[in-house]
Amino acid sequence: MLAKRLVVSARFGLVAALVAGWGGVARADDDPYAEFLRDEAAHTPAAPPTPEAPPASPAPPAEAPRPIVVTAGEIGAGLPVRVRYTLEGIEVRGNLRTADRVVLRYVPFRAGDVLDVDDTEIELTRYRLLGTGFFSAAELSLRRGSKRGNAVLVIDVVERNTLVVRSLSLGIAADEDADGTARPLSPFVGVDVAETNLLGAGVTLGAGIGLATDQLALRLSFSDPALMGTSNAIGASLVYAKAQDYFGTAAVSFESPLLDQREVTDYAVVAYKRIGGTLSFGRDLSVVTQLRLGYDLERVEATVPTVASHLRGGVREPIDFDILGGKSVLSELSAGLTYDSRDSPSLPTRGTLASATLGAGLGPVGSAYRYQRLTAAYERWWRLPWSHVVRLDAFAGAVTGDAPFFKKFYVGDFTDLLPDRVLELAPDRRQPPNFFETSIAEVRYGDYAARLAGEYRVPLYAGHESVYAIDLFGSLGLYAVATRRELKDPPRGYEGYERIPFDLTYNLGLRIDTNVGLATFAFSNFLGLLPARGGDRK
Amino acid sequence: MSPRRGAASFAVTFALALGASSARADDEPKSPASLPQRSGTVVNEDGEVRLTVAFRDVVDAEVTKKLTSGLPTVIALRAYVFPDGGTEPVALGAKSCRIVYDLWDEVFRIQLTQPGGTKSTVAVNLEGVLRQCAEARRLSLVERSVLADDRRYFVAALVEVNPISAEMLERIKRWVTRPNASTAIGPGDSLFGSFVGLFVTKVPDADRKVSFRTQAFAPPAPEKKE
Repeated sequence: MLAKRLVVSARFGLVAALVAGWGGVARADDDPYAEFLRDEAAHTPAAPPTPEAPPASPAPPAEAPRPIVVTAGEIGAGLPVRVRYTLEGIEVRGNLRTADRVVLRYVPFRAGDVLDVDDTEIELTRYRLLGTGFFSAAELSLRRGSKRGNAVLVIDVVERNTLVVRSLSLGIAADEDADGTARPLSPFVGVDVAETNLLGAGVTLGAGIGLATDQLALRLSFSDPALMGTSNAIGASLVYAKAQDYFGTAAVSFESPLLDQREVTDYAVVAYKRIGGTLSFGRDLSVVTQLRLGYDLERVEATVPTVASHLRGGVREPIDFDILGGKSVLSELSAGLTYDSRDSPSLPTRGTLASATLGAGLGPVGSAYRYQRLTAAYERWWRLPWSHVVRLDAFAGAVTGDAPFFKKFYVGDFTDLLPDRVLELAPDRRQPPNFFETSIAEVRYGDYAARLAGEYRVPLYAGHESVYAIDLFGSLGLYAVATRRELKDPPRGYEGYERIPFDLTYNLGLRIDTNVGLATFAFSNFLGLLPARGGDRK
Repeated sequence: MSPRRGAASFAVTFALALGASSARADDEPKSPASLPQRSGTVVNEDGEVRLTVAFRDVVDAEVTKKLTSGLPTVIALRAYVFPDGGTEPVALGAKSCRIVYDLWDEVFRIQLTQPGGTKSTVAVNLEGVLRQCAEARRLSLVERSVLADDRRYFVAALVEVNPISAEMLERIKRWVTRPNASTAIGPGDSLFGSFVGLFVTKVPDADRKVSFRTQAFAPPAPEKKE
């Protein structure tokens, strides 16, 4: 322990201090003494200044440690001279597009207040402004007011570009026939752009598009992250999707009103349109806890095969599409609680991200689908002594009632070897890889899902300019997705553990943290293609 | 390729990647001995090893602007005593200055904390601030008797302007690590490529940092009492 090695003189009855931040700034990685600070000083208990402390013993450090540590707060406390002013006004400078009132939302002071220059709210105001994303710099200072004792708080900001790409995703969807023969690959893309400071009013207007073969999804969203200057957020979005999904495990036989679907013989295709909107309300319950309430209302129009059957576990039976043919209405109320103590949203090295959500399709308010959906997710990060990072993630969810398939758990969202959904489009037709040869091959959408996985991250590069960090990551986990039938009536042909629809998932890739966002290049999309391209999976 | 062969190839690829990355050392912390050197004076005063060194360069134009902003500025020094050739410190000395410019009296009000006590003082100009806060004058480091007579030592110092405490960091995290729309549904990891725009403000742990080491020195001889 460093504490045992350090001898800090207190001969004159004073404290030798680990000055502000020493005992606490855990991000001491770039400090030349990172090891000492992180591992030792950060955990050394703080002691208040003790002017009457006896002189330190001159014994060797390891035998008679005398560490005396003062934290930042203690150093700053009890200033003999406190400087206070009457706040005469607040002046905002440098905001060419952003309205003064938007800046002032984040300032907890008003003219007439007594301003103590040691009030931590002043420094916090700076970070509140930076956290909006509207400004690349924010500095606070004081200047004299019109009469003695008065001061004006001056806020200088530098605006930044607020038209941003919020997300961009690229993937390759694959298909194979019943014999495992590869079919042409098809790319898909999802883009979401937003103006985060629309007309300088501090609100966000975003638009997203998802494109895949024969599929299109559009989303228009609006949000105000600080409603009326409070910690409440509101949001609204409009969604439109013209999509398809693919059902059936093997030897699918179906008839459909859609002519061109007859060309697909290995899947029964459901074509559907969704148009609707979402209203949401969010509130910060604490620094790390958020509550979100939402309401979705959609009109769904589905073209479902008139007759369809497949082989499930070697037995021919009808396919349940989990959607109503023709026009229907979906109405859902949801509530979610999120706990987020990560040190960074891009490449966390410690902390927890946990969430629980409950959604319900409400018949009384017009929903044709009555269901309940409960999910719980937990992720935790640890930084290892050698600076690598380990993440554990766990997920469990259940759907009861009659939810449409797109509200259920899609197998591709749990295995990294199939593409995730992009704007709720599921362009990949394949069944999941099946390393353990379980009944997971029979499942595309499930009522129950669970996943337990770990990730190991190796920092490759750390910078301070446009690229902050590049990390290599590898992950490995198990997941299970099951319908109610898997529990009550497992498919035939599986014995023992094979009756449990679970499998292995893994991934390998790079995460690149930049000054505009986090880019991920993952190889699982390619790795997942190998079995399909090899033609021997089925 | 069979699924099992696929899993095996993944394992090999991952192992190779980890092995390759272990050779990289770009971001490893510098050793104290490799810090830029500047001259300091080390004396033995009343059995106490004391350091005198200047670090005025920590006050650049930006820091000067902060000093006259009317809001508090902290300049903190920590000085570690290392055995020459060693990597573990044997002692630590520290000094902290909190400076507030009084808009109406037009003076810098300084609270100085260092071994010997905490005192409040006033500087009428920037030069006075530099003299009080950007220099260590006979800063107490360690009892002389703690240092071995037959070894040489050096001091590695880190000077920070406005270091952020853990408590403050926790409080600002609310704003800077959860940017707008960060909870929006983003693409997962199973895509070939994805990008999530996150304007995350990187919070430096200080507004400015300067680190240096002194020349190696032999422990000053104990004072002889007559």
